[in-house]
Amino acid sequence: MGGRNPGAAVHARAGPWQTGGMSWYDNAAAPWNFVSRKLITARLVTMWIWLGILILGGLVASLLTGAPLLLLVPAAALLLGGWGSWLIVRQVTAHAWAEDEEDLLVRRGRMFRSVTVVPYGRMQFVDVKAGPLERALGIAKVQLHTASPGTDASISGVPASEADRLRDRLTTRGEARLAGL
Amino acid sequence: MNDTTGYVYHAPREWTRLHPVSPLLGGWVFLGLILAYWIHNQLPAWVDGGDDNSLAFFDQFPFLWLVLAALLAFAATIGISFWQWRRTEYRIGDDAVYLRQGIVTRQQRQARLDRLQAVDVVQPLLARLFGFAAINVQVAGGQKSGVELKFLRLGDAEALRNEILALAAGVKEEKATGDDAAGTTAPTAAPDATTADTTASSGIRGHLAARAGALSNPEAVLSGTERVRTAVAAAEEREVYTLPLKRLLLSIVLSGATFFLLTLPFVGLIAFFVFRVDVVAAVGAAIGTSLVAIVTALAGLLGFFWTRLNGGFGFTAGISADGLRLRHGLTETRRQTVPPGRVQAIRLYQPFLWRGQDWWRITINVAGYGEDQESVSVLHPVATREEAIRAVWLVLPDLGDPDPYGTLGHALHGHGADGGFTASPEAARRVDPLQWRFRGVRATDRALLIRRGRWERELFVVPHERTQSLGLTQGPIRRALGLANVVVHSTQGPVTPVAAHLAVDDAIELLDAQAARAREGRRRQTPEQWMSAVGLETGASDE
Repeated sequence: MGGRNPGAAVHARAGPWQTGGMSWYDNAAAPWNFVSRKLITARLVTMWIWLGILILGGLVASLLTGAPLLLLVPAAALLLGGWGSWLIVRQVTAHAWAEDEEDLLVRRGRMFRSVTVVPYGRMQFVDVKAGPLERALGIAKVQLHTASPGTDASISGVPASEADRLRDRLTTRGEARLAGL
Repeated sequence: MNDTTGYVYHAPREWTRLHPVSPLLGGWVFLGLILAYWIHNQLPAWVDGGDDNSLAFFDQFPFLWLVLAALLAFAATIGISFWQWRRTEYRIGDDAVYLRQGIVTRQQRQARLDRLQAVDVVQPLLARLFGFAAINVQVAGGQKSGVELKFLRLGDAEALRNEILALAAGVKEEKATGDDAAGTTAPTAAPDATTADTTASSGIRGHLAARAGALSNPEAVLSGTERVRTAVAAAEEREVYTLPLKRLLLSIVLSGATFFLLTLPFVGLIAFFVFRVDVVAAVGAAIGTSLVAIVTALAGLLGFFWTRLNGGFGFTAGISADGLRLRHGLTETRRQTVPPGRVQAIRLYQPFLWRGQDWWRITINVAGYGEDQESVSVLHPVATREEAIRAVWLVLPDLGDPDPYGTLGHALHGHGADGGFTASPEAARRVDPLQWRFRGVRATDRALLIRRGRWERELFVVPHERTQSLGLTQGPIRRALGLANVVVHSTQGPVTPVAAHLAVDDAIELLDAQAARAREGRRRQTPEQWMSAVGLETGASDE
């Protein structure tokens, strides 16, 4: 299969959680780089802030009105939060990228999983973004743009120092292999 | 316009205004409003049921005042347009088309010719009546990155297009070998040189003198309206297909919208006899409330017919050295030139009602057109099977297959694994009971073919070198069934190729193989300056 090394499965399975069950894409010649675990913290914090507001609101409302049924809201939020937290951990630990000879591969998701293959020569530009929370945790999001709006090639949770290097690497490779549209 | 036959148009190398008539071609909407109001007042009250208050606001003023107000608004619009026109200037350089405009905020925009994706000459109805045209230069690089010049005289617009295409094609490389001595001494003339006649364009003219044959054979559309008076003749064109009006009309009749209109009475009958609904009263009530509302609803439906008719009327496709040429339009006409290698993906679609005739609607992705209306992204509104294959050939002269007819035949009508297609496995039946047998993917040396559809059919053709990126996706249900989708990301447009419900192993193999093929394709793809690639211009100037 092209220049890819089928034996790379060993690298691919280096993650702490196995992709499990059915075989899934791991034919990258280069090793998969898993994103930083700090992304879990970042996503958990964001999610629980919203849920926290909901829970507090529900509690206050039920105290004020004395309607015990309103307690269902915080209960539901808690359940949702528990499930969401589990999802976030699963998602983040499946999110990885690999830099092949000619293409960048981005792998994401566990329940809905996807692999995106972006040739370096097709990259129009690269974005590095980090919000306040992400900056505090020292991670950033690297997003690649091609001429196609369908290309979903963003890598969240790249360690900040690595993000800049990754961007430079991608840009250099892109320029070297730049192809017309 | 025959009195100007001695005049030869040159694309301006210095800042130039558009044609002075341009501001007059807008602003008519206010007069139209007054007309609408007048008609509204003349009509009997039952037409809009009396509770339509959209125009009631105007009733408090005398009609004469309204006319005066409209005239004032009209004059103001024309005045502002005139001011805008004064502040809008364009010029072409060797590398780009430049446009600067704006009254309060000045905006300067350049369309780089090496990113050129298509050049359209558009004539809206009013402009067309008076022999004017707008020119749209589409470049890659996101929405709104193109340059639109409106309006120029039709002949000038054609000439400007030809010159832009000649420059973008890399014909200027020819300058060094041009027969004009002045041209050879100034091969790198500054783009804003004002001595355009003797320097920058001489090389092009040298080249175009070679194409002079085309001058005696101007485009058919032009021949009736305006003489070609241009330094740069259009690249010679060979017509490939024309859509007969009869087929277009029949295709519109054979559409879902017609089907809907025809079944309405039957639905009414069933409602009347089976469910005992008093249809007459219901319809009467509906009409009673507002005829205008019903007319609006019908207009939406008719809008579909109108777009199809207007867009497909007189549809003609040809091939020239400058690439694909498409001409079409009933009231608004459009002449598109898409240089070689600019078509990113093709979709052939056959609605259920067209099966008997074996007709196909063919749409394309061209980067500059973006999310534009369907009028610009059609390669053939109603193709016979033969024409459909020819249309694919127009875009991909070499399909990379020893038997292109057989392969495309299988792609259009086959099912299962015939024709070397990779079909969906039987597990796909659970999620896709109707058409799983009809899904298939096959790669030739030059393009990827993706087929689907049982009742209606669809075929995607994506040239390998045009693949932007690839995706492999799988949700929980497909995962349980061992299926996955392969998505080919193309530029923005109506064509979004997906190979759905493949066996996981097939999908993974396809992804890898396709990435390798795209890599291979990018290596041998045609350069952006299509003429400098094949050396066509050298051959032409020797003649």
